[in-house]
Amino acid sequence: MHVSKSREKRKALQQENDGAKKSVKKIEKTGSNPRTRRGKWISAGYLFPSAAGVLLFFVLPFLIVIYYSVVDNPISHQFVFLDNFVMVFQNAAFQQAAKNTLTFSASAVPLAVVLSLLLAMMLESKIPFKSQFRTFFLSPMMVPIASVVLIWQVLFHYNGMMNEILAFFHADKVDWLNSPYAQVVIIILFLWKNLGYNMILFMSALSSIPKDIIEVAVLESASSFQIFWRIKLRYMSSTILFVTIMSLINSFKVFREIYLLKGEYPYDTMYMLQHFMNNTFSRLDYQKMSAAAIMMAIVMVVIIGILFLTENHFGKDVEG
Amino acid sequence: MSERKGTKHSAEELALQRWDKEVKRKKKLRDTRHFVRILLATMIAGCFAVLFLMPIVLTITNSFMSASEISANYGQVFATTDTGGKVYISDKVNLKFIPDMVSFSQYITVLLKSPEYLLKFWNSVILVGPIVVFQLLVAAGASYGFTRYRGRIKEIIFFVYIILMLMPYQVTLVPNYLVADWLHVLDTNWAIWLPGIFSPFSVYLLTKYMRRIPTSVMEAAQIDGAGEWQIFRRICMPLCKGAMCSIAILIFIDYWNMVEQPLILLSDQEKHPLSVFLSKINSGEIGLAFAVATIYMVPPILVFLYGEDYLVEGITYQGGIKG
Amino acid sequence: MKKNRKFTLAAVLAGILFTALAGCGKSGGNQAGEDGAKEGSVYVPEFMQLDLTCDYMDSFVAAGDVAYISASTWDEEAGYSGVVYKYDLMENKAQQLFELGENENIYGMIVNEDGTLTMVSGSDNYVFDEEGEVVENSFKMSAFRISAEDGTVIEESDITERFPESEYIYIQRMCGDAQGNIYLSDGNSMICVLDKNYQKLCDIDIGDQWINSMAASKEGDVYASVDGKLKKIDLAGKKIGETVGNLEIGWGDTLYTGMNTSFLVSSNSQVSVLDLSAATKETLFNWIDVDINAENIQYVGELSDGRIWAITREYKEEGGAAYELVCFTKKDRSEVAAKDEIVFGTMWMDSDIRKQIIDFNKTNSQYRIVVREYGADDYESGLIQLGADLTTANCPDLINLSQVDFAQYASKGVLEDLYPYMEKSGIKKEEYLENILKAYEVDGSLYGIMPLFYINSIAAKTSLVGEENGWTLTEMLDLVDEVNPPYVMMYDSRNTMLWYCVYQDIDEFIDWESGECFFNGEEFIRALEFAARFPDDADVDYSERESIETLLHEDKVLLMQTTLSSVQEYQMMRGMFGEEITYVGFPNKEQKGNLVVSASGSLGMSSKSKYKDGVWEFMKTLIEKEYQDSLVNEHGNWGFPIRKESLEKQFELDMTPNYYEDEDGNQIENPKTTWGYNDFTIEIMAATQEEVDAVKALIASAEKVSGNTDQQIINIITEETEPFFKGQKSAADVANIIQNRVQIYVNENR
Repeated sequence: MHVSKSREKRKALQQENDGAKKSVKKIEKTGSNPRTRRGKWISAGYLFPSAAGVLLFFVLPFLIVIYYSVVDNPISHQFVFLDNFVMVFQNAAFQQAAKNTLTFSASAVPLAVVLSLLLAMMLESKIPFKSQFRTFFLSPMMVPIASVVLIWQVLFHYNGMMNEILAFFHADKVDWLNSPYAQVVIIILFLWKNLGYNMILFMSALSSIPKDIIEVAVLESASSFQIFWRIKLRYMSSTILFVTIMSLINSFKVFREIYLLKGEYPYDTMYMLQHFMNNTFSRLDYQKMSAAAIMMAIVMVVIIGILFLTENHFGKDVEG
Repeated sequence: MSERKGTKHSAEELALQRWDKEVKRKKKLRDTRHFVRILLATMIAGCFAVLFLMPIVLTITNSFMSASEISANYGQVFATTDTGGKVYISDKVNLKFIPDMVSFSQYITVLLKSPEYLLKFWNSVILVGPIVVFQLLVAAGASYGFTRYRGRIKEIIFFVYIILMLMPYQVTLVPNYLVADWLHVLDTNWAIWLPGIFSPFSVYLLTKYMRRIPTSVMEAAQIDGAGEWQIFRRICMPLCKGAMCSIAILIFIDYWNMVEQPLILLSDQEKHPLSVFLSKINSGEIGLAFAVATIYMVPPILVFLYGEDYLVEGITYQGGIKG
Repeated sequence: MKKNRKFTLAAVLAGILFTALAGCGKSGGNQAGEDGAKEGSVYVPEFMQLDLTCDYMDSFVAAGDVAYISASTWDEEAGYSGVVYKYDLMENKAQQLFELGENENIYGMIVNEDGTLTMVSGSDNYVFDEEGEVVENSFKMSAFRISAEDGTVIEESDITERFPESEYIYIQRMCGDAQGNIYLSDGNSMICVLDKNYQKLCDIDIGDQWINSMAASKEGDVYASVDGKLKKIDLAGKKIGETVGNLEIGWGDTLYTGMNTSFLVSSNSQVSVLDLSAATKETLFNWIDVDINAENIQYVGELSDGRIWAITREYKEEGGAAYELVCFTKKDRSEVAAKDEIVFGTMWMDSDIRKQIIDFNKTNSQYRIVVREYGADDYESGLIQLGADLTTANCPDLINLSQVDFAQYASKGVLEDLYPYMEKSGIKKEEYLENILKAYEVDGSLYGIMPLFYINSIAAKTSLVGEENGWTLTEMLDLVDEVNPPYVMMYDSRNTMLWYCVYQDIDEFIDWESGECFFNGEEFIRALEFAARFPDDADVDYSERESIETLLHEDKVLLMQTTLSSVQEYQMMRGMFGEEITYVGFPNKEQKGNLVVSASGSLGMSSKSKYKDGVWEFMKTLIEKEYQDSLVNEHGNWGFPIRKESLEKQFELDMTPNYYEDEDGNQIENPKTTWGYNDFTIEIMAATQEEVDAVKALIASAEKVSGNTDQQIINIITEETEPFFKGQKSAADVANIIQNRVQIYVNENR
């Protein structure tokens, strides 16, 4: 009996959603009436300042980059088509950088998403001092990058804290920053910096999940795992995408820390695509830099595309 | 249920009561488990919190150490190599949370003896302030544009925004340099301001948010005869206040820590913000590093204290028109 | 409608793309600006023999198309005799105007408004005793006015007492303003101003600043360039006025009164016009582009028809000087027979090479060499720019490789093999020192040639190191351990030792061809361990040490890093060591540690050049007999010529004794010259065959070029070796990290 009731509740909700969707569609359909057409132009006007600026400072530069990537140099303008790409693609340093960037992002971003989700759920479970904890987790965002690097040095240097702790357990010293462990150190740094903000995003997403739906699920004696997997995750799919994108952006920004830690040529596991581009830039080798940038952009488009498709697939039924 | 008092208990109602009891029993069981779980969660959160707080606490407490104590703790500490990498030379490291003797000498040097730090701090403010304000304004307009009357072209443009936002700055820095040169703004604050103001980042965030405002809200206003400006100004903006604040915080933090843009676009060191200076602190000034860093942390901390709630609530649209 | 929209979008995008490309073109064009615009006008020089002969021009002034030149001639018997000429620049005709007295010297001249000439002269009067010794000398300064028509003296007055403070005043510049006041500058920091009647108006002392140049503007005001800024002389305030405009006037720049503009400014690279009212400075042309060696410039001026003229001086080999008048006419580029431009990229301009380029440009009808000097403004960024250009199509046709690691670029294929060119023009490889050629050789291809070279090496006593010109690190370590001297070297800090053992020849550890690094090998680790024995750079104080010659003499130092550029230098070193010496070289696993350094630049050819034949034509002149023979010099030329025959001539000259005849008519050998090193001096006699053979053997042992290790590599090694030197990590650990990091650098740069 009660089963049917909860079903009714769900159905009603579904209808509400559908209704909202329909109304959206309706507006789109009525797009041809003169008033909305005028509105369309006005709304485009709102877009204009930003679009113009983006065009000038981001799109135009990007076109220049594309141009650089297909000529042999900015002065002679000789068109070489894909030569630069082939050259960069065959470059051992580029391959290393691409591999590192890929492994770093592929491990750091999911870790950041999962860990921050776990943290958010932990804080959501009504523990005391919730808001204090939240502030604490956000604190890394306030520390200037230079101090972060300084402290990371103190922690992970050959004579740093970590090795002292290891020595306490009679373990051998590890040269954290000059060994294959380097990437682990960077991942820890990345997580430390970004978990707090991601967590907040998840917390607000969690709190915005309609309570009644969860209640219904509880009544239907769904396991908490099911609730999490079937309901919460679905409701949060767009937040997950958002957090992933934010983490991806931030995973590229970690170059700044690596650079301040180890300079232009760090240990090879820390050598990122940004190093490659930064170094080729400072050597004025724009062709290599542009080709590398465009290859990176293409990969990004593919990744983002996949992310959007996934979101569309999972989050369709809950998105308004 | 109260309205039904006095009427005959139907079978249906009995079933409902039974169900209610069941729920309560389950709840009690859950409560005990819940307590253990919360205790565990608190402890884990506590551990994490300590780890997360350590750097900020270290920076602040160490800023009250005298220069000699710092060099005693960190040895000769960090000598910067030409590559920008840092060599840690000390034999022994001594992370200390509490200074042996509280000293304000670092602060006295930074605040009173060498005005260059305050000057650089002021540079930071000058550079970051307009970016935050105008980026928000531009983004508000753009997001509104993206939200209203979504069509295929707008979606494509929006996707372009996302791609541009994800580009590492190294990619656009060179062309940015060329554009700045072309506009004759190289070496002026405009070279930093302009690309900053039009950054697609906040447009993306705000659009994401604005699109969650039910279309019906704006539609209703439109039917009531509101023009686009009124919808934007009276409906959209108030609803987005929280989001705008949280985005402002993010932009602020991002630009407050910028290093590369000033290095490339401003050759005049006098104009460099404090963040650039902080990032190349060398062995000679290590004693000051913590005090400068602490001072530099003050604005972000203030921003967080005032804006944390916005940050928490602002990102996800959840309120409908209640707020 | 939908189609329409799509079309608009496409059009807009195309428009943006087009603008972007145009924008690129523009920025690219700016970068190429130094190459000169392809359109527009150029200045064409016309060279004329000057219509007067003299050994020295004391003073000079130009008014319109007429110049007044005070010139002196040296004669064995009569001594100096000076004449003032009136010179018609249009007609290139001199007219003798005035003859100066004995020991009289013109300091400066001004052309007055009425056309008369005011001159300031100084003369020494010596009173001799019977034996011809000077017993008294007096100095007199006088000012006099002569007619510019026939040279008759109109008035003359003694102005010696105007300069009471200085015993002897030397006037470097003199000019006059519109009021007829006379400004005299000593070229340091004093300006003395006299009025029309030679009464002193004031002294302007600018303290610790220097007056680099002083001249009257076209408008009749006097300006001085002080510390790179143009300042007007403020007569009323008796001081140097404020800086005029934001015009950079370099240290070596000279101001000349202009005819159409305020000033002409001649620097050692170009001539420009300065407009005071608009506060602009505009370059007219580069000296090298009009085939002028800027070192030879004497005077520059403007003619009424807009031409620019200059008087140049070139020292003749047989003594004396050849003066030329050169007029530069502005012509449309289309009027001038177009020559193919060969771009010569270099960090700095060597004077020998510059001379050759000017000669080449003057005589060659098909090609013209244009210089692109990378290190002119900022050396560091210039080096980066050169490195960047080498790998792109912006590559200069002709490259001075002496500041770059050529092996790195050779492996990228940007350099042309020169052997086929030598063969084609019938220049035999065998005529040249093949081992020196080999320094720029990779796999049998020659990528650079140096007309003149010297050797960079380490010298030690033969009794200790034997006669072999080369050793391995192990041999060096064994010797150090065996002898255990107080100092291994005069400068023996850790980094210096690392420099000698590693950076001097980094190619020992990096194979650019295959991209392999060998920093984790035994050789590098041993070098690190060796360097670790020495004190940190911060801990050594060389000033506490005795001088190298004392240390050598007392056997307190084992090795000495040095260069060798002549037999005479070898003779000196041997004298300083006090016994037989061997140039044993820097430690190297193949025992090839004597390194070749180019003395005037190493020239390479870009494989992308359009004018390879032209490039070769120029390169050829530097290794051909004529030029190579001209490098032979009695005192050595800071290097050895690369051509065998010319080098033999040099050796012959070194072995030829200098005789003089004593009172009895005996031929007595005279020292050829005196060499010194710090406090040590030695008279150099003719070299013995044995000495020449030793130098020959040393040259024969050198076949690697002294490296140009990239700063990045040095930084990585410095950073990572620190913990090893502090005793925290093992050398092998450190070497592995260095291997790892440098490998990335090498990969990235391949």
